[in-house]
Amino acid sequence: MTTTELATTAQITRRRRPTWRSTISLVSGVLVIGWAFNGTGVSLAALIDGWRSGANLIAELLHPDLSPEFLRIVWKALVQTVQMALVGLVISAVFGLPLAILLAGNVEAPRIVRETARWTAAVLRGVPDLLWALLLVACLGPGPAAGALALGIHGTGMLAKLGAEQLEAVDAGPVEAVRLMGAGRAAVAVLAIVPQARAGGLSLLLYQAECNIRVSTVLGFVGAGGIGQEIALSVKLFRYEQLSTLVLAVLLLMFSLDVVSRRLRRRLGAVS
Amino acid sequence: MLRAALGAVPHTGTIRVGSLDPADRRATREIRLRSGVLKQGSDLVAGLSGRMNAVMGTAGRWTTRDWLQVAVSGCPSRYQSRLQELVLAHGVDDCLDARVSQLSGGQRQRLALVRALLSNPGLILADEPTSGLDTASAARAVAELRDAQTTLVVATHDLAVADAFPRVVALRKGRIVHDGPRLDAAAQSLVYG
Repeated sequence: MTTTELATTAQITRRRRPTWRSTISLVSGVLVIGWAFNGTGVSLAALIDGWRSGANLIAELLHPDLSPEFLRIVWKALVQTVQMALVGLVISAVFGLPLAILLAGNVEAPRIVRETARWTAAVLRGVPDLLWALLLVACLGPGPAAGALALGIHGTGMLAKLGAEQLEAVDAGPVEAVRLMGAGRAAVAVLAIVPQARAGGLSLLLYQAECNIRVSTVLGFVGAGGIGQEIALSVKLFRYEQLSTLVLAVLLLMFSLDVVSRRLRRRLGAVS
Repeated sequence: MLRAALGAVPHTGTIRVGSLDPADRRATREIRLRSGVLKQGSDLVAGLSGRMNAVMGTAGRWTTRDWLQVAVSGCPSRYQSRLQELVLAHGVDDCLDARVSQLSGGQRQRLALVRALLSNPGLILADEPTSGLDTASAARAVAELRDAQTTLVVATHDLAVADAFPRVVALRKGRIVHDGPRLDAAAQSLVYG
């Protein structure tokens, strides 16, 4: 056996032998997972106990309320949900995309401007949209205005971060060529960076629109309007046949959104 | 070296463009405004029209009025006649309204040359201007560069391209090993060892 072969065998042996460190890691991992299960009360016994009430709920959910009066309410709530998502998208696009330009490293905005933009975006997206909705419901009162603003504020932070990443990913060649011919930062951004990121930016807006519609279906739980408010009401009043109709409506909305979004993405030539 | 001349990378030693020092920030802007840049692979913005690409090299001099004219017609009126003259001279007049993605490699390279020449620069810096072009397009690009009527610095690895110009400065490991009219066999042995 040559020296190299001996060394390789030694390495393999060393790798296979469990060390005291890996044993401690494994035991700690198992303890942490057990601690988490114990804390949340998730167990097979809990699942079996809850099965009977779950079965009753499912039985009621199988008979959705399809009365014309209730369908009218559902339609109105759905329209309001889409309106909230759209207003939220417009707000986030108006504020988020300029923030993205200031954030992008290749735009080379002055350091203080860039840092301010970074912190603003981090705070806006760091607070979840549901929490923004809670705060805004407390300020503006319950209703879709609070929901739309919550989506707009959180979306601004998200679009700023994701948009900046899109801008930074553009081909650096044309950017440098224009910069080396004396163009200023704003001109370089407008002429060489933003046009290259246009398709990605539109795809990003589409993604944000999808997120807004998904989130706006639950913002109503905290009183911020939309179909979520109707869902929360039917759960509170144990009207599961109405809950069933509302859940079906949400599923239909999501399915339609998926189809529309896929078509638009294909048209944009963007990868979904 | 070309990027150092434009103040884009730090350097040691002394560089003067005219009498300006590219290490000085204020001078850097002045040098850049007086220069045309032609980079490897043409470096046009793919999503824009040929016209927008041709005029964007002059953006450092645009006034608010120029920006408005660009937004409306795609070209500041003061560059309109010069642009027309250049695109006709370089045979890319039919490329102005096309998207860059629809143009061939040769057309892109010629459009990039128009972009570099539009502001009547005192200096053109060309980095591998024939890279990626077929033989005929490369020969045409070299001929057009020679006709540019301005000071021209071309960085190339192609000896045929280097020999098309009146002065050849050859570098090996960062040092000048030849400075003369042609890279003859003796000079080539110095460059390539």
